[in-house]
Amino acid sequence: MAALPLARGDETFQAVDARVAAVAFIALVAAIVRGWPALVPVAVTLVGGTYAAELAVDDAPLDLAAPAVAVGLFLAAELAYWSLDERSRSVGDTGIGLRRAALVAASGLAIFVASSGLLVVVDEVRARGLALDLAGVLAAVGVLAACLATARGQSSSGS
Amino acid sequence: MTRTGNPRLLGYATLAALGLLAALAVRRPELAVVAAPFALFLALGSRARDPGLEVTVELGAERTLEGDEVPMTVTLRAHRAIDRVDVVVELPRGVELADGEVERSVRLQAEEERTLELAIRCTSWGVYDVGELRIHARDAFRLVTWAAGVDAGNRLKAYPRPVALRRLLEPMQTQAFAGSQVARVKGDGVEYADIREFVPGDRVRSINWRASARRRALVVNERHPERNTDVVLFVDSFTDVRGAGRSLLEEAIRAAASLATKYLERRDRVGLVGFGGVLRWLQPGMGASQRYRLVETMLETGVAPTYTWRDVNIIPARTLPPAALVVALSPLVDPRFVAALEDLRGRRFDVAVVELDPVPLVGPGRSEVERAAYRLWLLDREARRARLESRGIGVATWGDDELDAVLEEVRTFRRHAHPVRA
Repeated sequence: MAALPLARGDETFQAVDARVAAVAFIALVAAIVRGWPALVPVAVTLVGGTYAAELAVDDAPLDLAAPAVAVGLFLAAELAYWSLDERSRSVGDTGIGLRRAALVAASGLAIFVASSGLLVVVDEVRARGLALDLAGVLAAVGVLAACLATARGQSSSGS
Repeated sequence: MTRTGNPRLLGYATLAALGLLAALAVRRPELAVVAAPFALFLALGSRARDPGLEVTVELGAERTLEGDEVPMTVTLRAHRAIDRVDVVVELPRGVELADGEVERSVRLQAEEERTLELAIRCTSWGVYDVGELRIHARDAFRLVTWAAGVDAGNRLKAYPRPVALRRLLEPMQTQAFAGSQVARVKGDGVEYADIREFVPGDRVRSINWRASARRRALVVNERHPERNTDVVLFVDSFTDVRGAGRSLLEEAIRAAASLATKYLERRDRVGLVGFGGVLRWLQPGMGASQRYRLVETMLETGVAPTYTWRDVNIIPARTLPPAALVVALSPLVDPRFVAALEDLRGRRFDVAVVELDPVPLVGPGRSEVERAAYRLWLLDREARRARLESRGIGVATWGDDELDAVLEEVRTFRRHAHPVRA
């Protein structure tokens, strides 16, 4: 995923991007090898950050590669977490891994389709200014609320 | 069950929040598109509900012999479908899995019941709480984990595996009841003892007609009656010497259980004294129920360290009946136990000692001081053994030999030994 902004940017950007990608790679490997799940979002954030930086620098109208980036980052995170899930020596039912792989692949496909559709909608209703800002603020507030709810959910709730 | 978030949950929440904030900051909707999948998965994950998992654990037996396999069945049933349930079997020390996997993952449909067949094996005798499980149920998106610890509270008693024995130690004196031991006294029995002149009241069937013809007077046979005996197993629980995968206390209990079984089979009364930090005793009795009582008492035997001096006065008098054979099983490491043996012998009990040899389990050490201490310890053991033998106590060392050979050694000593008086 780091290759996309690397291919698009100028030499200075490429130099920085390569270093950031290397750090992201090391973080991901460390997360998987050492079993540190907290490093997975760090690696994905670093790669996503280079993409965001490239978008900020390059003032292109609308990047059509965004769905692919979304799928790539999601798959990277999901596969890394899956790998961490499988660190136990548990012996599973036959086909449990295949079913999981199929679910991840289907999720990737669904994300690509949904992201493409979302991009098309964004392209159609694109209106820079207050409306987009408001929508973004609402989305951010919603996600922050979701994060708070998540944090509350992580504290145990017996049943 | 306890609901906890998978690390994925926090990671996706972070990524979604950062992506949307970045979209807002750089005013690029593509970043919102990139963040959207993570937010979508969060929304789907938040819908996960308690699967209502029910777990039962059943053991195929409550009692077993050490080394034998016991079937164990884990039954899982969920009210809602679970994508993956990880079942981890927690086994106590001394119990191992003979068949099956310690960690299993299964998928459950709603109201489906799954059964996991396992087999466990106790590597040594004892009482074990078996049936502790750790359960982790995960939803399809692996964002939420429902965890539970299950303790089925199944108690498994592993009895010591019997040691091969052909002959037992015969006590010097017998008791009043019928048994298998030929008594030294004369009376009604099978074993021929002597002949004597007929006196009025003797039964005609006991007349020895051949001897009567030779002596020209009536002579009757005398016989030894078969009586039972009282045996007290005296187990040293002051210390346990461990090493090289062996435990002398475990071996002592194994031998004691075998001796008890064999003595009870020949209708003797058998009692038990676990002499150590904690005193455990069982009055002599006979029959199959006594065997279970003995073994169950033995299973509780363990080392409870104590520095107080203990002697045989603390043993209840009825536990040590007169003329009982006291078979001691000890590594002869603790002087309190050795003193107790001497005390018992002083009280005219018939005492025999099976010494569980600790020497192969103790290294001589590296330094000169350690080696000197080791040699002194060996000499002290020799002196201790000689002192016991001088009091007429048969001592045989049980190392790698069979217990039968060790008992034969004690038997030989008892045949020829007599107390030495200074």
